[in-house]
Amino acid sequence: MIRIAAVGDVHVDKDVLGRFRPALEELPDRADVLLVAGDLTRHGTVEEARCFATEFGGLGVPVVTVLGNHDHQSDLQSRVTEVLTESGITVLEGDATVLELHGHRLGVAGVKGFGGGFAGACASNFGEREMKDFVGTTEVVARKLQDALLSVQADALVALTHYAPVPDTLLGEPLEIYPFLGCYQLGRAIDAAPTALALHGHAHHGAERGRTPGGVPVRNVAHPVIKQAYNVYQLLSEDVDLELVAT
Amino acid sequence: MSTQLDEYLEAEIQSLLTDGRIAELGITVHRREHQLVLGGEVESPLRRDEICRQINSRFPDVEIVCDIGITRADAPSEVEEIS
Ligand SMILES: [Fe+2]
Ligand SMILES: [Fe+2]
Repeated sequence: MIRIAAVGDVHVDKDVLGRFRPALEELPDRADVLLVAGDLTRHGTVEEARCFATEFGGLGVPVVTVLGNHDHQSDLQSRVTEVLTESGITVLEGDATVLELHGHRLGVAGVKGFGGGFAGACASNFGEREMKDFVGTTEVVARKLQDALLSVQADALVALTHYAPVPDTLLGEPLEIYPFLGCYQLGRAIDAAPTALALHGHAHHGAERGRTPGGVPVRNVAHPVIKQAYNVYQLLSEDVDLELVAT
Repeated sequence: MSTQLDEYLEAEIQSLLTDGRIAELGITVHRREHQLVLGGEVESPLRRDEICRQINSRFPDVEIVCDIGITRADAPSEVEEIS
């Protein structure tokens, strides 16, 4: 059994310090890992990244994140990543990490992702250079996610993105902005690998639950959607913990 | 001349909330008769107050109703089994 705590869109700045901490201190009793689905900060400044590291660092469980669009706002995403990494927080962008938890291997592949839209209402790689750059970016990041997912050997595989891979979890958002909230290419990448769970944020007014066309459960863990410090999802429920057997 | 409560005002407020220091993309703005109703959730009371202050100072003659909530940050009581 692996228990995954997850939240996104915590948008930390000085004014948020201490709000999440009491619930986060309980994490080691409630989950084996914390995944954070981007928009860690308000404007992507180094100071805000330090605030995030203070609030979400040193928790007693591994913390794995991707960045969100807010974390790119100041064009300091590399510095933000450095600050988080120095605090022991893993930041994924087109790569994967494997965590050994109770004798199980949890693989997490992550990418920020990008917009583009969903079947029947998506941007196409055609026309002006600006439009081709937009959709080209979508295709590149989706490919990175697929490669990262396929690179992992694990007992359970989780895809972590900021942008949404399916429209199901956008329900509640205005239809007109779906192309800015996610893209089908991320869903296709998730379906190309044996993914057990896909987590994303970004859609503050969306819905929590969805599924990819290939049947992978998708959860929108944006903080305003889940309305608590984090959700906990349990994977490999039937598997006996090797650690428990050994002791 | 008083500020017209129309779609352009809504758009201007949305860009005030997203472009500036506030950086809140998830605030909803609705016109209700002569009032402007703000909705959505933010991470702190300071942010909610700052949103209303910024709109008030840019459009002093517009009556604002602030229905913005603060997202709770308690620990969960349940676990969802994924299958
Ligand atoms: Fe966000
Ligand atoms: Fe976002």
